[in-house]
Amino acid sequence: MTGTPAPPVTTDRSPRSPAPGRTALPRAAAAAPVLALVAALALTTLVMLVTGVDPSLAYPALIRGAVGEGNLEYTIAAYVPTLGMALAFAIPLRTGEFNLGGDGQLALGGVAAAAIALLVPLPPVLAVVLPLVAAALTGGFLAWLAAPLRARLGIPVIVTTLLLSTPGVALASYLARFPLAERGTGVAQTPVLPAVAHLPAIGDSGYLTPALPVVALLAVLWLYVDARTALGYEIRATGANREFARYGGVGIERLGAITLAAGGAFAGLVGGLTVLGPPYRFVDGALTAPGYTFTAIAAVLLATGRPALVPITTALLTVLQVGGQGMEREAGVPSQLTQIVQGLVIVIVAVLALTRRRGTIRRTPKTAAEPANPHEKATP
Amino acid sequence: MPAVELVGITKRFGDVVANDGIDLSVEAGEIHAVVGENGAGKSTLMSVMYGMHQPDAGHVLRDGVRLRMRSPADAIAGGLGMVHQRFRLFPELTVTENVVIGAEPTRRGVLDTVAARREVERLGELYGLRADPVARVGTLPVGVRQRVEILKALYRDARVLILDEPTAVLTPGEAAQLFEVLRTVTGNGASVVLVTHKLGEVLAASDRVTVLRHGRVTGRFTTAETTAEELVVAMIGRSLAPGPRHTPPRGHEARHTSPHDREARHSSPNGPGSPPPHGDGPTAREPDAPGVTREPYLLEVENLRVLGGEGPAPVDGVSFGVRRGEIVGIAGVAGSGQRELLDIVTGLRAPDEGRVLLAGHPVRRGRDPRVAYVPEDRHGRATAPTMSLADNLLMGEQRGSRFSRAAVRERARTLVKRFGIRTASVDEPISGLSGGNAQKAVLARELSRGRPLIVVEEPTQGVDVGAQERIHALLAEARDEGGAVLLQSSELPELRALADRILVMFEGRIVAELPSDEASDARLGAAMTGAAAGDATADTEGNTEGDTG
Repeated sequence: MTGTPAPPVTTDRSPRSPAPGRTALPRAAAAAPVLALVAALALTTLVMLVTGVDPSLAYPALIRGAVGEGNLEYTIAAYVPTLGMALAFAIPLRTGEFNLGGDGQLALGGVAAAAIALLVPLPPVLAVVLPLVAAALTGGFLAWLAAPLRARLGIPVIVTTLLLSTPGVALASYLARFPLAERGTGVAQTPVLPAVAHLPAIGDSGYLTPALPVVALLAVLWLYVDARTALGYEIRATGANREFARYGGVGIERLGAITLAAGGAFAGLVGGLTVLGPPYRFVDGALTAPGYTFTAIAAVLLATGRPALVPITTALLTVLQVGGQGMEREAGVPSQLTQIVQGLVIVIVAVLALTRRRGTIRRTPKTAAEPANPHEKATP
Repeated sequence: MPAVELVGITKRFGDVVANDGIDLSVEAGEIHAVVGENGAGKSTLMSVMYGMHQPDAGHVLRDGVRLRMRSPADAIAGGLGMVHQRFRLFPELTVTENVVIGAEPTRRGVLDTVAARREVERLGELYGLRADPVARVGTLPVGVRQRVEILKALYRDARVLILDEPTAVLTPGEAAQLFEVLRTVTGNGASVVLVTHKLGEVLAASDRVTVLRHGRVTGRFTTAETTAEELVVAMIGRSLAPGPRHTPPRGHEARHTSPHDREARHSSPNGPGSPPPHGDGPTAREPDAPGVTREPYLLEVENLRVLGGEGPAPVDGVSFGVRRGEIVGIAGVAGSGQRELLDIVTGLRAPDEGRVLLAGHPVRRGRDPRVAYVPEDRHGRATAPTMSLADNLLMGEQRGSRFSRAAVRERARTLVKRFGIRTASVDEPISGLSGGNAQKAVLARELSRGRPLIVVEEPTQGVDVGAQERIHALLAEARDEGGAVLLQSSELPELRALADRILVMFEGRIVAELPSDEASDARLGAAMTGAAAGDATADTEGNTEGDTG
């Protein structure tokens, strides 16, 4: 009987393998995201110093840009799509699949929502719900395409999703420029959606819409499914060891398809929610330009396989992202610096995961179960 | 002076000693067979000879001169050539291109394709290695690809040709042709090192034999003066890891079903082991001991076949049955089709032909819920090493009742207690458990669900003696409770101690069925190596008409 009141949601699928030093392990694992972030910031500071930027000016500017007066709401507004995109990446990742096609799923979802809102006259409520459903379905479908391609032809999901992303973005762009374009302006955007399809604003700033509670609720739902349901268990088992799951009778290909579709649906939904919010139209490039997808991937990787951490790491990186723009305005530091931070985070997390795994392999006591030598085993 | 001589080769991988002071000398012009079970150290030894591994001790002499071996390039320069079990050819390139690659004939710096082709043709004719020089390798049958590999070695002037399990991928006809070629090669004064576990071909094709077991030489023979029995004893021998001979506490009922009514037949080598058993088959047999009624088979395997693409079929017409309350053992050298067979029986794999019935109904694809299955591969299949013990114990029952973390852990705790699994907590990753305890956990998961058929692979591999006894007791208990147990093991004492009868697989077929009290090491070993069955490749010396290329 362990008296832990609230067990960590999952400790079982971090990219590291558990090391023999058991008591030290949880602490070390928890330290990984912190370590990665600190190291990334340190290296970024170094870059600032090398390029002649004064960190003592840049960092306060960054903080003010993110949470300063008037900026906080904007940061929260950016947090919502980033969190949604984080889920789009994190859900398939639980079965071990990388969904790198977030941009395409996002853009197509957005344009699908705009198309429904523009072309189908709908009563209130439905006028919001239906476009969102269409957005989720579209994004989900685009991501799902990778599943049969993997099952039938063995094409890795990471490749398919990435390669389908660009055509997805291009198709959305085409639709916004031609069939759905606002006439007479020459701007690549749709007309403003009918008022019934507008998401109501929360607060005075106009930035915040019900997208925040919707995405937050879905995120909580995901955390629940992941940790507390048979489906979540099967997904985790598939991610931990596909062959083990297959052996246990889990339909691994089916699960892969489900999680991919769910991830894509989140991306599409984010697109829909964004389009139905201000400025209430699909503007070509507006969904993908802020780089939600990439920030989200960095955030999920930073969470190192612990779903409960995803909302937190996403918040951190959103602050960096938004703050970077403030930093650019105030201190004249290019906001690309925050992309350096994100890139470094990914690299450091990957390196930490790799070194830990390698260390584990070396330290794991060899059992006689292992083949007398690898070559004999390979040659029956 | 030997053409090539290995002196005191020792090679360790971590704590495992793959080769332990092995001496091997190969004379010019001889075919020298190196035999041994899987894991005996054959492939490692060949890798050392070919420069792929650096030995921890010992060295290689070529015509009495010590070779400095840093990589296969040194071995090739020293006149060694190796044909790997998995061919290393470019399927998109032609035969000629594959043969000359890395040592192309050139004229003024340009590849001389005409000379290359002529040379390949010349070598092919000289050694009877017929292969169309301009054919793309990817379009050729496996047997011809192997010839290309041999040509590759001969083109580089190999005087010692190492072949690693060359017949594993060949049909008997192709194998016979291969041995013809090897005779020609040795007739020209070169030497052949033939790595195999098939005694039939050893006796038919080799001049001398060196037997390895657990990384050591356990016998050196001149083929003409030895017998299959002698080789088997050296190969499988008495030196088997000490296993419990009479450990399992047996139920009396189970004991009474033996031994007089057990069938002890050796089947012919050219047919499937036994005729397809049917549910009503056993009732036709002689009456059993009083008080015991003979049950129909719970598991019926009928004429299973798995096609092997271009090579021989991994499972080639297997039929047998298992009753409730009996343990049927499966013996065989690794790679004889056991893995594929058990994958089909458990539902994880679909057969190409034949069917598996469990209590009269076909097994369900993708893991039949009526089958308990303890796989050999503990880290790769039986567990998810990074998941907690509780999560590992759950697999298969996650949909059984309402999912609740508390219930999952509670169930796990019950199993931990009942099966004596030693762990600090059920939340610990299963990879933190010792091999024996992890194996007990797998058994606990599979045996605690009262499933009628229990399939077990290598249950005591890599576990300590204490856990071994416990595991044997658990399997015997499952049997006594009416389970039908199918036990695959490479430990012959384990099979004898537990199984009621033992099926022996060789080259995808069941070649013998022995009651365990008649299953001596020699008889099992002979069957496992195809010696008892009059190996298919042993009698093929005359029939080499036709060219598959």
